[in-house]
Amino acid sequence: MPPTGLPPSGDGRGTTLAWSGDPLLAAKFSVPAAPRHHVSRHRLLDRVGEGARGPLTLVTGPAGAGKTALAAAWARDGEPPGPVAWLTLDTHDGAPGVFWSYVVEALGRVLPRLRDGITMPARPGSVGTSLLTRLAAATEHLSGPVVLVLDGFEKVAGRRVPAGLEFLLGHCGPLLRLVVTSRRDPLLPLHRYRAEGRLTEVRGADLAFTPYETTALLRGHGLGPGDDVAGALTRRTGGWAAGLRLCALAMQRTGDPDGFARSFAGTEQAVSGYLIAEVLDALPPATAELLLRASVLDRLHPDLVDALTGRRDAEAVLAGLTRENAFVDPVPGTPWCRVHPLFTEVLRGQLRIRHPRLVPRLHARAARWLAGEGLVTEALEHAAQAGDWQYGASEAVHHLLAGALFTAPGGERVERAFSRMPPSVPGAEPALLAAACRLARHDRAGCRERLAVAGRHLRQGGTEPDPEVGLTHALLRLLCEPQADEHSGEHGADDGSGPAEEAARAVSDLMGRLPPERIRARPEIEALRLHGLARSHLGRGRLAEARRLCAEAAGACTTQESLPVQHMALGLLALAESAAGALTSAEDHALRSLLIAGQHDDGPDGRGGAAFVALAAVACERDNQEVAHRRLGQALACRDVHYDPLLAAEAAVLRSRLELARGRWETALSVLPGPGTGEAPWPARRLALARAAAALARGDHEAAVDAVHGIRADGPAPLVALARAHLCAGRTDRSLRLLARAEDSPGLGLPDLVGIHLLRARAALLAGDRATAQCLLGRALDAARPELLRRPFLDCGPWLRPLLDGAGRTDPAHTRAAWLTARGDAGRPGPAQPLSSRERDVLLCVQRMMSADEIAAELSLSVNTVKTHLRSVYRKLSVSRRREAVERGRELHIL
Amino acid sequence: MRYEFRVTGSVSRLMAEAFPELKAEPVPRQTLFSGTVTDEAHLYGLLARFQDLGLSVREMRRLPE
Repeated sequence: MPPTGLPPSGDGRGTTLAWSGDPLLAAKFSVPAAPRHHVSRHRLLDRVGEGARGPLTLVTGPAGAGKTALAAAWARDGEPPGPVAWLTLDTHDGAPGVFWSYVVEALGRVLPRLRDGITMPARPGSVGTSLLTRLAAATEHLSGPVVLVLDGFEKVAGRRVPAGLEFLLGHCGPLLRLVVTSRRDPLLPLHRYRAEGRLTEVRGADLAFTPYETTALLRGHGLGPGDDVAGALTRRTGGWAAGLRLCALAMQRTGDPDGFARSFAGTEQAVSGYLIAEVLDALPPATAELLLRASVLDRLHPDLVDALTGRRDAEAVLAGLTRENAFVDPVPGTPWCRVHPLFTEVLRGQLRIRHPRLVPRLHARAARWLAGEGLVTEALEHAAQAGDWQYGASEAVHHLLAGALFTAPGGERVERAFSRMPPSVPGAEPALLAAACRLARHDRAGCRERLAVAGRHLRQGGTEPDPEVGLTHALLRLLCEPQADEHSGEHGADDGSGPAEEAARAVSDLMGRLPPERIRARPEIEALRLHGLARSHLGRGRLAEARRLCAEAAGACTTQESLPVQHMALGLLALAESAAGALTSAEDHALRSLLIAGQHDDGPDGRGGAAFVALAAVACERDNQEVAHRRLGQALACRDVHYDPLLAAEAAVLRSRLELARGRWETALSVLPGPGTGEAPWPARRLALARAAAALARGDHEAAVDAVHGIRADGPAPLVALARAHLCAGRTDRSLRLLARAEDSPGLGLPDLVGIHLLRARAALLAGDRATAQCLLGRALDAARPELLRRPFLDCGPWLRPLLDGAGRTDPAHTRAAWLTARGDAGRPGPAQPLSSRERDVLLCVQRMMSADEIAAELSLSVNTVKTHLRSVYRKLSVSRRREAVERGRELHIL
Repeated sequence: MRYEFRVTGSVSRLMAEAFPELKAEPVPRQTLFSGTVTDEAHLYGLLARFQDLGLSVREMRRLPE
């Protein structure tokens, strides 16, 4: 299998999708083989062929209507206009990141050069360009038509994938042809596509067999029905393909096909129930028993089925059923097969009635076989269904799954399966897994509680636990933030002996005791270790250390599965940088974090909001209130921003600042939680400083001083805040002493430095020394300019304005200050290339909410030309939607 | 909330077993399924299950509590 290039939503560097030669995965991309007695239905093949001359063909109908069979038959021998990229969808493919990576893989298999276009290394300027925009752009220059078949689109539930598909349909080149099969109408604007003549539909009524086709189907099964029989069956089944196939099977097995047809037509039973019962009743008892037991599985492997039956005939039986074209379909290229869902449901019901107590035992056996084959996620799901919690938890812990639980795509499935585990299950492993599940749901307190239970079990056990168990325990301890500040005090936290360091060291030690190849297979563990340490440092306000560790954590993420950790680490890095005043790099890392999460296209999906908080902070520091509000809104839509104390505090600080900027002092104070709610030192300090700022804005310098004194005030920021309060109160000497101390303290950040210069300038001005004030202001401006850090200047109050204006007349400082008042965000990277005047015209029309057709009429262009212009506008502005383009255009003052 | 689903054809016990949370009651040429539906996700799940089993839903209504 050729290596593939594109991470689903990564930054295009250094990561590749590990398809790892999994034949089950490969089967998703191959056109299903023709069933043995396939009836070629030319009227439908022609219809699809006609549809594939346009952008979208939709095949809808109920289960078993023959949608996949039709699309596959057309792809195989319906003379499609170009190469066919096939993608069979599964229920686990619903996450946009997963879905689009499969789409790129499917297209890449027929268009090897397409990937080059998409994996273009992301330059900083193009970092905001989403995967979809790039995918759409890559389809612009196809040399001939290419068909993409999405089979089973109903399995991709939710709005986000259809929304992405709508975007792709709106912006892809004219030679990409989409064929979608689905049981339900997808959430696309079908009415509009219909009105525009861009949609061809094959619906349930079209898929229904005609009596003539029924005759052909029955002949294929070696039956020679009369016209009346074919007509009666067609009527009774409503032309339902699966029903007719079942009829054929039942008729083959009885000696009296006509009698069957008569009695079937005569019953009032529901078609599917009657036919399934007929077919199952006719099976040899051994085969029926095998199917009954195998019904606990979603996918059947002969060896697995043997493990469930205790016999050795599964391969032969399944091969027989496949050959007879019954209801067992092989997964091409693999020994696996699937039973038609109609049957699975019925068989499961039968199993529950006949052998209720066998069900958990079968699940437990399946779990063990699957675990032995390395299919851990599925094994754990079966263990959960068996209620075999101890076995499942032990497997999960020994496979080092704890970290993957809240990072890897399969983690969510495990988390869901084990969320039903009762807390009474004894043992350290179940408690550890429960702790990991709680942490995955951002329940830190619950995680700590379960960890304490696990710790008790481990101590009671006496013997040293397996390294996997110890490692999981230490890693979770690190991640749920041990709160030992009470006894370690202010000093213990700084000498590297805090509980976080201790847990991190334990993780390292235990990693060293495991075989290196197992550790290499789980890079997220080291990444999470670094991330946990970074959080702990950030919690204590040690920004430089936190930044270094975050960068290391992001660099340690080398696999597809660890991308979510990279997303988290980059988000946290951006947050630390925004607090330190490194705004440019904070913005860059935040955007990369969002890009990895695929959130750039789809909005928050319950993943981390750290990047949004960082972007809001950057916008706030640069006095771009509109953007700050929007980003903060996006941050608050992420669950972890509410549950993670670090992020919650930072979001509250930002809300307070934004309220303050609007002059609403009371609100600015009331959005901040009261002091002393058990935060880590750094968030506590950030909140206290925000309270002080709000008090000072109201002119209440005593309250401001009190707010700062209420916290452990180490580091320059509290000193600067105190100095500001005292200066306002007219205590200049005291203020200057504090500033001198602040300047000498380690970890002086850019906002603090600028603040110190400005307060000194104010003091000089009060002392009547205008020249010194001017000079200090110049220094503050020069220091803040590279990052476009505006907030310290805005916080200053009215005294600054005359000083700034005065600068203009006397020295070149006027130009030094020009950036401060230049609105329009000149500092953010502008468009990678300037828009052409035509593109700007199109964007202006978009702003007026005009459709592509209306724009074409307005500007006397063809619709296609308008779309081309729109696509390049999107590309140049690094956006993927009309609304974003308009917003970005306004930000950049193009509009 | 309680719902009632009217499905074409009399549905065998075997098929009805796929809906353990609903009560199946045969009426002429149709079957009435009724029972408590937890929430909207459950409702759509049930509709999908009917579809999966090839049963066509003729009518669906919410029952008074």
